[in-house]
Amino acid sequence: MSNTAPESRVPRGARGNAGTRFRRAGRTAGQGRAALRVFFVGGRISYRALFNWISPVMYVTTMLGSPLFQILFFTYLGRYAGSRSDDFFIVGNAVQVSAMAGIYGMVMGIANERQFGTLTPLLATPANRLAVFAGRALPNIVNGLVVSSFGFAASWLLLDFSPDAASLPALAFVVVVTVVSCTALGMLIGSIGLRARDVFFAANLVYFLMLLFCGVNVDVDSLPGWMEAIGRSVPLTHGIEAARRVVEGATLGDVRGLIVTEALIGIAYAVAAYVLFRFFEAESRRRASLETF
Amino acid sequence: MNVVEAVDLRRTYKTTTGTIRRRSLEVEAVRGISFAIAEGELFGLLGPNGAGKTTTIKMLITLLIPTSGEARVLGHDVVEDARWVRERIGYVFGGDRGLYERLSAMDNLRYFAELYGVEPKGQRARIDELLELVGLKGREKERVEGYSRGMRQRLHIARGLLHDPPVVFLDEPTIGVDPVGARELRATIASLTASGKTVLLTTHYMFEADALCDRIAVIANGEIVAQGTPQELKAGVADGSVVEVEVFGVEERSVERLRQLAGVRAVTVEDQEQKQLLIVQTAPGLELTHAILSQLDGASVGRVSSREPTLEDAYVALVTAA
Ligand SMILES: Nc1ncnc2c1ncn2[C@@H]1O[C@H](COP(=O)(O)OP(=O)(O)OP(=O)(O)O)[C@@H](O)[C@H]1O
Ligand SMILES: [Mg+2]
Repeated sequence: MSNTAPESRVPRGARGNAGTRFRRAGRTAGQGRAALRVFFVGGRISYRALFNWISPVMYVTTMLGSPLFQILFFTYLGRYAGSRSDDFFIVGNAVQVSAMAGIYGMVMGIANERQFGTLTPLLATPANRLAVFAGRALPNIVNGLVVSSFGFAASWLLLDFSPDAASLPALAFVVVVTVVSCTALGMLIGSIGLRARDVFFAANLVYFLMLLFCGVNVDVDSLPGWMEAIGRSVPLTHGIEAARRVVEGATLGDVRGLIVTEALIGIAYAVAAYVLFRFFEAESRRRASLETF
Repeated sequence: MNVVEAVDLRRTYKTTTGTIRRRSLEVEAVRGISFAIAEGELFGLLGPNGAGKTTTIKMLITLLIPTSGEARVLGHDVVEDARWVRERIGYVFGGDRGLYERLSAMDNLRYFAELYGVEPKGQRARIDELLELVGLKGREKERVEGYSRGMRQRLHIARGLLHDPPVVFLDEPTIGVDPVGARELRATIASLTASGKTVLLTTHYMFEADALCDRIAVIANGEIVAQGTPQELKAGVADGSVVEVEVFGVEERSVERLRQLAGVRAVTVEDQEQKQLLIVQTAPGLELTHAILSQLDGASVGRVSSREPTLEDAYVALVTAA
């Protein structure tokens, strides 16, 4: 064969090295591609598999109905109390309901794996763990944006919420960052749920505590010092503050500090969630701790 | 080359009992077992409930770290090179859990194809081929929550083979499958080794082990009590014979007395609707039928027969002796 001739002239050692390097590079590229598919395709399939409220009836009631009534409830309550403008409550709640999508969806997306008995087969695969874990977030982020957009749109229809059209792109950006960081909080609760039994109870608790601590309906500044400290160290708080400012006319540059803080908090929670997941995986190999409840 | 090697594997579990006064408890599930499986071999791991079969498999498939000892698959350590090993092994366990209920069989397989890094180009064809192989073709669009136990079991098998692994671990793969289906699955399992794969199988069905396995290890209380080909294991009891007695309402006392009888190796009682079947294994060269019948005072006796020992008899003798 003619194409073997040039190769045979290459010194043995060099040929072997180049070959190995070539193969290794090919292998890494292959693994990278597989990881990307796990992230996108796997993430999407797992969302359908694990998200309890995927059926149309459940989705409309939990993901659209209850957020809508939450926004209406607090805005009317605010009008009655007469303390703040409608926009204060609309923005606070419309951003927070997107957090619900991120938190509950993520908790299901991770903790259900054990509940359904599918964790063992999952951990038996060679799949890139970071891709598996992070892939679960994407559908929840998209869902959070849908829920939040619906909340804003409903407020525009029913509550005369009418921000300056020019502020909408900035508002959208702030909401994206906030949904991502809230999804990271959901990841953390989900990871805890791999070990703890009734983690949905924790998710409920967190959801309602957010109403209080994160400046959704009450200014964080007016809370007692320790509550404010908690509020400022969890996702959502800075995002809501930035969203309000943007609706009042601030530019992205004006609220850069808030957005960066929100993003950093989100990253910190996501890292903690992933580290916890890997810790539980390693521990389960040593102590058989994820086998049964 | 040995494809699977276990060297003095041990595994203990720590558990706690009691809710108020918690006590920690150590269960020695696997106590130093060693075996080797050659390429293309179908190796059976038999043993009573709780003997440590699943624990052994979990160590081999990298899900559990051995308390001590070593295991290698295709020459790679299952602890050090876990990911390398995972890429090359398939794992099927018995039972109806472990599938995504809300997804169709198709989507379950698509998901795991991604997790195993099956090339997207060949995925459809591979999944089709496997659905055909396990007999789920035509039902693949239905959600798993509507599947029967046997259908789930078939889906487990398809999932374990997605990435065409050279080594396959099957933990009770035919449990809950109807007789015709189980026969088909046995043919499927046999075809795996025919295509060059190496298989480790656990089962509680002795005829299945006899029909499929090239070699068998019998494990009891976490230790291997015998190892060899089905013929070799049978040879251990082949010199004796088996007396089967149908009785109506035999008492535990009588069975105990039978066990003490000189020349009796093992006694098992099978409950069959109105009657029981006593299976008495005896040492060679003895005509014990009369002695046996005389121990069954009072109970009314039906058919009495004597036959050659089977693998099941060999298994029972080994396990009761352990
Ligand atoms: N996660 C666990 N935690 C504590 N003990 C365990 C755990 N898994 C298994 N065991 C114990 O280890 C022993 C061996 O169990 P294993 O599941 O390996 O048996 P087996 O041979 O597969 O049995 P079977 O035929 O019933 O499937 C049993 O005593 C069991 O109770
Ligand atoms: Mg078992």
